Amino acid sequence: MSVLDILVNYHAAFWQGLGVTLKLCGIIWLCGLAGGVALGISAARYRKNWGRLTQGAAFALSAIPTLVVLFWLHYPAQAMFNVVIDPFYTTAFALSLVNLFAVGETVRQAVRDFPRQYIDAGLVYGLGAHALILKIQMPILFRQLLPGLLVLQVNMLHATLFASLISVEEIFRVAQRVNSMVYRPVEIYTALAFFFLLVCLPVNLLAAWLKKRYTRDVSER
Amino acid sequence: MMLTARQLSFGYEEKPVFHHIDLCVEPGKITVLTGPSGAGKTTLLRCLALLEHPRAGAIHVDDDVFSFPRKPGARPAPPWPKLTAVFQQLFLWPHLTLRENILLPARCRRVRDAQAMLEKLAGSFDMGAFMDRYPNEASLGQRQRAALARALILKPRYLLLDEITSALDVEQISRILGHLKSLRDSGTGLFIVTHLLGFARDAADRVLFLDQGAIIESGGADILRAPKSARLKKFLSMVSAAA
Repeated sequence: MSVLDILVNYHAAFWQGLGVTLKLCGIIWLCGLAGGVALGISAARYRKNWGRLTQGAAFALSAIPTLVVLFWLHYPAQAMFNVVIDPFYTTAFALSLVNLFAVGETVRQAVRDFPRQYIDAGLVYGLGAHALILKIQMPILFRQLLPGLLVLQVNMLHATLFASLISVEEIFRVAQRVNSMVYRPVEIYTALAFFFLLVCLPVNLLAAWLKKRYTRDVSER
Repeated sequence: MMLTARQLSFGYEEKPVFHHIDLCVEPGKITVLTGPSGAGKTTLLRCLALLEHPRAGAIHVDDDVFSFPRKPGARPAPPWPKLTAVFQQLFLWPHLTLRENILLPARCRRVRDAQAMLEKLAGSFDMGAFMDRYPNEASLGQRQRAALARALILKPRYLLLDEITSALDVEQISRILGHLKSLRDSGTGLFIVTHLLGFARDAADRVLFLDQGAIIESGGADILRAPKSARLKKFLSMVSAAA
């Protein structure tokens, strides 16, 4: 049985798994990017409360392996509060939390370290607050943050594989189940690699295009 | 109607940078500030541009008064870009070409004929060949000219310039200094931090010598020919020796 045969025979299961993975990713990316950018800006502006919270949480979440966070939320936390939550939502929550604080901390640092002199130049040339943000700060920060944030999002996509360990029917778990039926690990995991390539390649290409289009070496001669 | 500083003092925590400075920049006049490195010239210029908050004193920009230390809650709007500056490090925005750097403030301020003025400045400063380069693709001299054009397009009443000719060749310096003289003649008040003492002797209406946070000597351009203080004499002799 070739890779193609496996893909054809089990395409429905693979599509379903891919759908779950992409749905998870959509939630994680949306929460992480939208919430993280807002959190990062608030953290840079209100350093004492939001700033410390973001820094502390990001530090803790980067120190604890994502899998441990996921397992902790799935088993002990639910037992402690005597609730049962669908593993899909537990995964979405855990990974969104990790992404939220990772993006938030990245944005916080970039905003905090934004070169003050570009703002000063804008001020003395009479730019208003909106023009300073829209024409100076945001474009420079966007160019600076873009590559790192895209790499982080691809890593979050990879982290969705952990969901298989708490029985979420995402693509990796589907691949494992198909393998348990036909025992063709080489073909199945090649197919899996192909699926990830299919999803990650456009993201990586987009990252490369955006990087080429909007970022460049700005070091002065 | 002029830009004046009264009893201006500034420092970082325990370290004073300058103290009790009095000066005035009149429209249609060139005021030159000179002095050794580390004397506080750039900080004084930043205070005059209202980018730093002095510990004490007051800055008057025509009828607007900015007193320091500020009263709690008082946030008077600085009169930018009527009062503007060109910094020694230029601070061109790195994501914009030199042309966009010059046009952005003009467009935000809705300067009429910005494009025509840009072309005129490009001709005056010989910038036509590199206007569409990004700052990091241009030489320091080219960036200096673009930074000056970015300020001039706004037609400021008071223009503060910090060592803006340090990387230019003799021909470019001559061009820019000629342009500054014509700006003076058109009524702009210029405050120039420079080590170009030849220009100061030739064009300055007033010269201030700053050292160790205090104005040691001030007066007309003749103080550079016949200094009274020992410190300025020593400074001028060292400048001559270096030249």
